Amino acid sequence: MAGEARAFEDIELGDELPVEHPDLSLPAIRRFTEGSEMRFPRFLDHEAARAEGLPGALVPGLMSQGFLLALLHRWSPGCTVRKIDTVFRGPLVIETEAEVTGAVTDIDEDERTVEVDLTIVDDSGRTVVVGTAVVEPAA
Amino acid sequence: MTDLQAIRDEWVGVEFESAEFTIDRDRVIAWAEACGETDPRFTDPGNPDFQAHPNFTACLSTGRMMPENFPRIGSGFGIDGGKTVEVHGPVRPGDTLTGRASIHDVYDKTGRSGTMVFVIHRMDFTNQNGELVSTVDSKMIRSR
Repeated sequence: MAGEARAFEDIELGDELPVEHPDLSLPAIRRFTEGSEMRFPRFLDHEAARAEGLPGALVPGLMSQGFLLALLHRWSPGCTVRKIDTVFRGPLVIETEAEVTGAVTDIDEDERTVEVDLTIVDDSGRTVVVGTAVVEPAA
Repeated sequence: MTDLQAIRDEWVGVEFESAEFTIDRDRVIAWAEACGETDPRFTDPGNPDFQAHPNFTACLSTGRMMPENFPRIGSGFGIDGGKTVEVHGPVRPGDTLTGRASIHDVYDKTGRSGTMVFVIHRMDFTNQNGELVSTVDSKMIRSR
């Protein structure tokens, strides 16, 4: 386990997760495309992306979802994410800055799970990804 | 105008393709590390609970998002509206998964920018023991 488990009983409605700034560098994107085998120019090459009418090379949506999962695993070490739902509301351009945030919005005492609302905001302040996860803490 | 109810009646729940996938250790690690994952369950092959990141299955595709004879709905290219991943159990490197593709839902919504049609493509993944381990819903959006 990466750290001390967060006990279910210690989680309260409205708890905010620590804000994180994911690595949107080209080497990170390239590493993701190796894992996903999504080696498309729109993720790796600004010019190719602009030729498609995009503002620049894009962070793959699944990588954005992965940032949210990594945040959850750090916030609640050893937890199991039972479900994650993300909506891609706008492009997130690589080699920019972004902020990943989360807050607890529901607690299911019977299932011993918590619901966390998640967002990714780009460097212009636009929310580009919104999501909801159902998390089962390890303790 | 397309009759969505008729499309729903004909296509929702129909499995139209399947494929097998072997989960590769190096790909699993690359995925997790690139996402900034620091939990060794997802990055360290020596961890006793080593497994793929929960949304890794979302990149596994049969190659076809729609059934061969699925009617064309709406106009323009489809927009990737989002992904939902449900984790039923761990996916581990070396596992052989069978992914089964189906249309899970078809519906429309009307807003300020007009009517949009949503098609939900579902992939259910079972492992070599026949256990359902992951369900991935991909939301495709077209203007109507």
